[in-house]
Amino acid sequence: MKSAETIKRLFKDAELSIHPDTDERVFEDVLQAQQKVTENLPAMPDEWRIIMKSPITKLAIAAVVIIACLIGISFWRTSGSGIALADVLAQIEKAKTYRFQFFPKTGEDPNKPYKRRFTCLISQEYGSKTTREELDPNGEWIKVSENYLSPDKKTAITIHHRQKRYTRIEFDNYTAENMWKVASNNPLTFLKRILACKYESMGKSTIDGIEVEGFQTTDPNFFYFYIGDQGRSLIGDFNQISVKKVWVDTKTRLPVRYDSTGMVMHDFQWNIPVDAAEFKPVIPDDYTGTVVKFPAQINEETAIQGLKIWVELLGKYPDPEIITPFLVTVLRSALENSETPAALRLQEEIKGLTEDEIGNKLVDFLMPIRGLARFYNGLQYDKKDPAYYGETVTPKDADKVLMRWKVSDNEYRVIFGDLHAETVTAEKLTELEKALPK
Amino acid sequence: MIEDKLLVFRFKRGRSEALRQIYDKYKIELLKLAVALIGDVNMAEDIVHDVFVKFAQSARRIKLAGCLKSYLVTSVINRVRNYRRDSNRHCETSIEGAGLLSSSERGPQQWAILSEQLMLLSQALQGLPYEQREVICLRMEMDMTFRQIATLQGAPVDTVKGRYRYAIQRLRLLLNGEVEK
Repeated sequence: MKSAETIKRLFKDAELSIHPDTDERVFEDVLQAQQKVTENLPAMPDEWRIIMKSPITKLAIAAVVIIACLIGISFWRTSGSGIALADVLAQIEKAKTYRFQFFPKTGEDPNKPYKRRFTCLISQEYGSKTTREELDPNGEWIKVSENYLSPDKKTAITIHHRQKRYTRIEFDNYTAENMWKVASNNPLTFLKRILACKYESMGKSTIDGIEVEGFQTTDPNFFYFYIGDQGRSLIGDFNQISVKKVWVDTKTRLPVRYDSTGMVMHDFQWNIPVDAAEFKPVIPDDYTGTVVKFPAQINEETAIQGLKIWVELLGKYPDPEIITPFLVTVLRSALENSETPAALRLQEEIKGLTEDEIGNKLVDFLMPIRGLARFYNGLQYDKKDPAYYGETVTPKDADKVLMRWKVSDNEYRVIFGDLHAETVTAEKLTELEKALPK
Repeated sequence: MIEDKLLVFRFKRGRSEALRQIYDKYKIELLKLAVALIGDVNMAEDIVHDVFVKFAQSARRIKLAGCLKSYLVTSVINRVRNYRRDSNRHCETSIEGAGLLSSSERGPQQWAILSEQLMLLSQALQGLPYEQREVICLRMEMDMTFRQIATLQGAPVDTVKGRYRYAIQRLRLLLNGEVEK
């Protein structure tokens, strides 16, 4: 029998770690949410601004820039040792194939040996393969999962060996083109981000017998690389918690090791021979799987289609408070109790299917519902003044506003109860909204 | 505590690095709490994501009388309760635990990576009534006092202690049963 102390220890020992790529994307969302608010905050006195606004400071900066130009100094772009990171970038771009390992640091004691590692194999021709391994109690590395990204096929396939399952994700064109480019464990992207920052040389040293030169940046712009100039307005002392380092082979001009707050990339092998078969996932026969598809486009039509499917299945529009990421989950729960012809038809179609088969069947069908939630959240995010009246408006209300959002200073786009859409003036919208049921 | 107050002070002044520090400091604890409470890792991720986004948007109006951790924990608890309410409004049968397996079928979009032990624990927790689950998670994982939990649950301290006792007993059985399999 387990004591309360044993259960407490179970709680404390039950580990959860963070996938660094997704973590960065989640934080970007959080940061942008803060940024939207910050933009509207009244300006606060800021030492940096005060200094920069000073005429003396301006003159001093101008003088430094002129002197730098005269003596040929290029700020931040040379290390003083002969290695230019732009050359390193060019060398990576030339590499047809490479392999490296990385391990996430987030959530783990940096002094403890890491318990999981990822091996990444990249080919310009075939895509990428990432293998995740975990250290078992006997000290052996066990292959836990494999992930295959194929930009050509626009797919990501992940095989989970412990659970004997796989997931196939089919991306839209945009995501397919950018999925690897934006990955934070992409050495090319990592270096591009450093190049976009203020960086400095850490001098020469040796790693695994290779003479290397290290470079580091504490520039917060590293993080803002993807969010452009808007992110620059948020520069603070972010650098205190974010140091990014890269060590480059002084002979080959190729990276040997990267180190950032979230992960370490190391053990690089460049231009190695690869076989196309290495990039083809082999899914054992007894594994079961799920297919996930990204909506091709999120727009007004997607939202209307989502509303149409919802009302066909449940007989009414979704309540305002559930236009959230939970929309599909709520719909799937509610379906069981719905008796509309469409719901009964769907229930009949999925009767007797396994959970995987149901998931696969519903994935296309429910995509517009996901699109509706993403569309509405996007309007909120972009402050398009959206409103939604699904609680009171029904499909019979052809002249009542079901959803609206701002399209210009004096115009709104309106989806009516019968799901036709029109652009109306702000004055007309006021009239329409006055007529809504209370 | 003082460190948190400083972080909140800087966060309210729009400092992104303070937000980053708050996010890094609490994300894992909050994700663990949400996973334990709801048993669905995808939903837990959505909830914690949402908590941080809403927190980030609250810079102007947030007034923290208590501690930052309690504020964030309460935000997670409220969203979990809302989610349960919205789901149960449409469905009589319990949906909890239904998505725990989904943690194993997620692709590169996944945020949280659960250890086997956390999956086992989370599965066992779904066998408890929700109020008991809340008590034991807050007590064991978040180190909250019975008085703090009572305030959060709007229940007398003795009731909370009772829920804790029952939860321990039930969890012992569930975990022992799991180990014996």
